[in-house]
Amino acid sequence: MSDHDHSHKPAPMVDEVSDFEILEMAVRELAIDKGLFSQEDHRVWTEYVHTLGPVPAARLVAKAWLDPEYKKLAAADGVEASKAVGVDWVTSPPTQFGTPSDYCNLRVLEDTPKLKHVVVCSLCSCYPRPILGQSPEWYRTPNYRRRLVRWPRQVLSEFGLQLPPEVEVRVADSNQKTRYIVMPVRPEGTEGWTEDQLTEIVTRDCLIGVAVPKPGITSNAKRPIRKAIHPVQHDHDH
Amino acid sequence: MSKIQHDRTHHAKMATGVGDPQCFKGKAGKPKFKIGDRVSVKDLPDIFYTRTMVYTRGAVGEVVELVYESPPAEDESWDNTDKSEWFYSVVFKQNDLWPEYSDEFSNDSLETELSERWLESA
Repeated sequence: MSDHDHSHKPAPMVDEVSDFEILEMAVRELAIDKGLFSQEDHRVWTEYVHTLGPVPAARLVAKAWLDPEYKKLAAADGVEASKAVGVDWVTSPPTQFGTPSDYCNLRVLEDTPKLKHVVVCSLCSCYPRPILGQSPEWYRTPNYRRRLVRWPRQVLSEFGLQLPPEVEVRVADSNQKTRYIVMPVRPEGTEGWTEDQLTEIVTRDCLIGVAVPKPGITSNAKRPIRKAIHPVQHDHDH
Repeated sequence: MSKIQHDRTHHAKMATGVGDPQCFKGKAGKPKFKIGDRVSVKDLPDIFYTRTMVYTRGAVGEVVELVYESPPAEDESWDNTDKSEWFYSVVFKQNDLWPEYSDEFSNDSLETELSERWLESA
């Protein structure tokens, strides 16, 4: 192609559209065409998804740390406990009956000094989105899903978390309708803290179980990326 | 004669405002197992679809919770939701699941859910 041809092309609105995005658009348009749902239904759903994030789950844990009665409720009935942080597993999603992926059965897994939970969905990548938001990319990889169930301590080491042998590491594989969040042990150095201060240190990675909360740490550890020396060139790169 | 139409809305009709699995509450009858029971996982034929991981087949664990009633995934995936079963949260010891799991970490465990058809008394 000569430079002359390139100069007549309209500038793209996005740099690159992936095959998955093209597939999603095609399936969505077909579904709307066939009457499975409407464009409006899709818009409402997309807007709901954009409201989701990890703060409600973090706040649930902070509240439980401060209130022993609420902690008991959280461990016994995660769906009821979610209401206190503004999440109704049945009526918050636009469907009014949950979703085929998230359902309506949250369980809060309570860590103790002798028991550490960590969550995975080995079958696909089920995740408690209504209270925790969208899952991180690594959580969905076969790497994590296949390895955590069998080599949990090795995988946790890769996240920088090592536990003594006496601590029971329990992998929760969310293979059916239950979705899990982990309630970590409240760390030392947080005496007298407010709910807001405690909420800040319960990161998404703590709620999945691959990290433990620490005073002063208010974000997930960065996943190291080593840029390729000779990256693959796609023919639609500019 | 008109084509038989599959009612795509039957689930929404019974679950709206109620939730899923809440909409199946009371439909499974009496649970076969209780908390504390030792159960083993049957290796049932699972042609087409299952949510009972192969790594649990034949393993023995302990029931820690009766979590909910629901059609089993193997039926639900085909929209056959007429019959419900009790679902159990079962804890297995990792060194029962994996041959190379180190004795040094003999406390380690794995918790996952199985529907009643997959379990028998151990």
